[in-house]
Amino acid sequence: MAGFAETLALLTVDEDGVPLHLEQDVFDCAWAGAALLDLAFAGRIDTDLDGLHVIDDTPTGAAGLDRVLDKIAAQGPGVDTRGWVRELSGVEAVAIRDSALAALTARGVLAARRGGRYRWLDAEEGLAARRHLVATLQGDDIPDPWDVALVALLDAADLLPEILSVEALEGVDERLAQLRGLDLIGREVAGAVADIERSIILAVRARAARFRRLLLHLGAASVAGCLAILLLPRIGIADRFGPTLGERLWFGSDWQEWSGYALLAGSALALSAAVFLRRRSGARGSGGHWWRVAHVGVGACCLALLVVHTGLRLGANLNAALMVSYLLALLLGALAGVGTYGAPQLRKLGVSPRLRGAVLRGHFLALLPLPALLAVHILLVYAY
Amino acid sequence: MAHKALAITAWALATLGAIGVAAAWLVAGGPRGVFPPGAMTDGHHQIGLACESCHTAAPFTDSTQATAALNDACRACHEDELERADDSHAGKRFRGPRMARFRRALDAQQCTTCHVEHRPEITRPGAVTVAMDYCVACHGEGDQDIRANRASHAGLAFDTCATAGCHNYHDNRALYEDFLLDHAQQPWLLASPQLAGGDSRDAESPPIPAALAPAAPASALTGPALAEWAGSAHAKAQVHCAACHAPTTAADAPPAVIEQAWMVAPDATPCVACHEAQAATFARGRHGMRAHPLVAPARDAPDFLTDACCGLDTLGAWLADARLPPKMTVADARLPMRLDAAAETVTCISCHGPHAMDMPKAAADACATCHDDPHTRAYFESPHYDLWRRELAGAPAGTGVSCATCHMEQRKRNRRGKTETSHNQSALLRPVEKMIRPVCLHCHGLGFAIDSLADAELVAANFRGRPSRHVPSIDWALRNAERSGARER
Repeated sequence: MAGFAETLALLTVDEDGVPLHLEQDVFDCAWAGAALLDLAFAGRIDTDLDGLHVIDDTPTGAAGLDRVLDKIAAQGPGVDTRGWVRELSGVEAVAIRDSALAALTARGVLAARRGGRYRWLDAEEGLAARRHLVATLQGDDIPDPWDVALVALLDAADLLPEILSVEALEGVDERLAQLRGLDLIGREVAGAVADIERSIILAVRARAARFRRLLLHLGAASVAGCLAILLLPRIGIADRFGPTLGERLWFGSDWQEWSGYALLAGSALALSAAVFLRRRSGARGSGGHWWRVAHVGVGACCLALLVVHTGLRLGANLNAALMVSYLLALLLGALAGVGTYGAPQLRKLGVSPRLRGAVLRGHFLALLPLPALLAVHILLVYAY
Repeated sequence: MAHKALAITAWALATLGAIGVAAAWLVAGGPRGVFPPGAMTDGHHQIGLACESCHTAAPFTDSTQATAALNDACRACHEDELERADDSHAGKRFRGPRMARFRRALDAQQCTTCHVEHRPEITRPGAVTVAMDYCVACHGEGDQDIRANRASHAGLAFDTCATAGCHNYHDNRALYEDFLLDHAQQPWLLASPQLAGGDSRDAESPPIPAALAPAAPASALTGPALAEWAGSAHAKAQVHCAACHAPTTAADAPPAVIEQAWMVAPDATPCVACHEAQAATFARGRHGMRAHPLVAPARDAPDFLTDACCGLDTLGAWLADARLPPKMTVADARLPMRLDAAAETVTCISCHGPHAMDMPKAAADACATCHDDPHTRAYFESPHYDLWRRELAGAPAGTGVSCATCHMEQRKRNRRGKTETSHNQSALLRPVEKMIRPVCLHCHGLGFAIDSLADAELVAANFRGRPSRHVPSIDWALRNAERSGARER
């Protein structure tokens, strides 16, 4: 039987063989949780008051899992389950995923292609895994503890809506709440194993929620900032002689020049973070959550710089076009962030998950004219 | 993957192309309406797209040189006006080392210290882009502290210096202390209110002598044109139809030649040929400023592009500036105007008519065919208009007050006192105190004039009534003189 990591790999490769580009931070938590669950179910690790520790260091035969096992053994007790989820959801998550995909490739389920893509050789196995997951969610029977743990893991990382269709998830809320309670694990499995599974799931949930919260707040703050720039009246200037702060900031002094350069540098940083994020989000990389935090954080800083540079003024002519394009890019980016990290809340409000994809595409499209508009803006400043 | 690379390449090329086109429009020529970073002031908006009128330095010149060139451009157009106003704060006064600390506070040598274009948000009356308490920069401390020097000014705020009708930065011809004292005792209306100037009444239409019969194609001698011309100053001065409609022909050219060169609706060129002085002042006002010789001409595309074929000529057309219409249209104006006049252009005949040269009409009624603001509308119910009607009915010339009386200064042309009418109707508009000496004081006392012009509601009502504001300049000047006199005694 495939382990948690392999099953996660089966479930997250789409019908075209492309691994899902999910939010890497929560996805990485899921990979870390899957590895720990595999080790717990294999009886290799346990948890007590001192933290998580190895109880059997016999290799499992899966390269990714054995690597994690060695790491835990080398560390010794003292780090709790949350600590290990945090530790493993970085670069280690790449190894766990690669190992799982390699195992599926070795078993003839997938064949690797260029560009981090795969080709299904035995699509039936992937479909079977999905069918089994749907049956667990929609059935009334007491499920296998392994299935309960898998559902709880996917739910904790909020991956279910990414993996299953809206139809498949319709009417499963009650069942999901039952599975989410994790009582079923305890009922079926001996106490010690149930404890570690619970702690893993809870750690994954806490870790995923932490990132989601941070980025959700940044995204929401950025949306509010963009709307404020669009809706609030421009910041006035005191009618008092002398180089007032407002005049220095917004009317052609050196200060405006420097705030412009800072904005340019901030935009370049945000773009670089996005490029790094995209590269690390590909099939060959993972652990891009810090790049994501950097992207969203620098984006929010750019918003603040924009206020410093313009004083909530939209400008005229080409400057207005630049401002609208820039604000649109920021607003759609912030909305995409809210859509991504506030997905559970938005789902409750009936907002379609597809909308997030559209907003993200809009964010990308709004960025396209920016380099040209920025270049002409700078040309204009120095031409006359 | 190939699609992605193609899309990225296409985007990169489009971006570079857009930057290239914008740079070409900036540097070479092309439609530049998208570039100005903000609306222009009322004084310059008509020539806003003739960027090189003000930005005389080459693109990408060092900012210090570019600013110097910008200031030279201001002076090139406005220096005469400032000299005539005996500029109280002329730049040359700030040159010496003694003025260094004042220059640091407010560099009064540069026009752009206080007047910056494209910044509508901070543009105040008079196109001033610094806070209106700017006087504090030099008169707020030390031996220049006006509050310490003048007891009357002790409690005054600096933002009232130039806004209350007391002082102007440049033009204080009617506001300086000695002038106030000299005119302190004047009544509100002088004993013989009359403006020096030409007789504005219609000359009687003389019969057209046979020898002066207009040489024109028969088809043109229809309608009221001939009768109107016959009663005009042109007929008196023997200016024939052909002088305007076929200006390229000789005075004694045969009818066939005239007919060949005949223009049904000639432009203002023939007018300018004879009325040079009027045309020159017309080009300095807002009605005619597009014809000002210092307005930069539209930039043409390089010859090799316009001369070329194979599509390059199209590119050439694209890299040429849009031509400004040679004359302002009424729709271009920022003051309230009559909608039915929106499409009219402002030329000589807009006011004078093509044939009648009706001076009384040009002096008042013609203005109201376009202008539709409260001040204009109120004129026809004002005491000034009553006086104007009386003058037209036979009262002595110069006793009536038309629009032109106040807005088109009568300037001395020579030492014998011969005057001519300035056609720069904007010259006395702002600040309003500019009007006191050349206009108001011909009929009114200084105190009344200052008070009237300081009352915005009275100005809007076209001076129907008495001023509700009192500017205490004269009172303070008298008190100051008394104190000085007492000290001397």
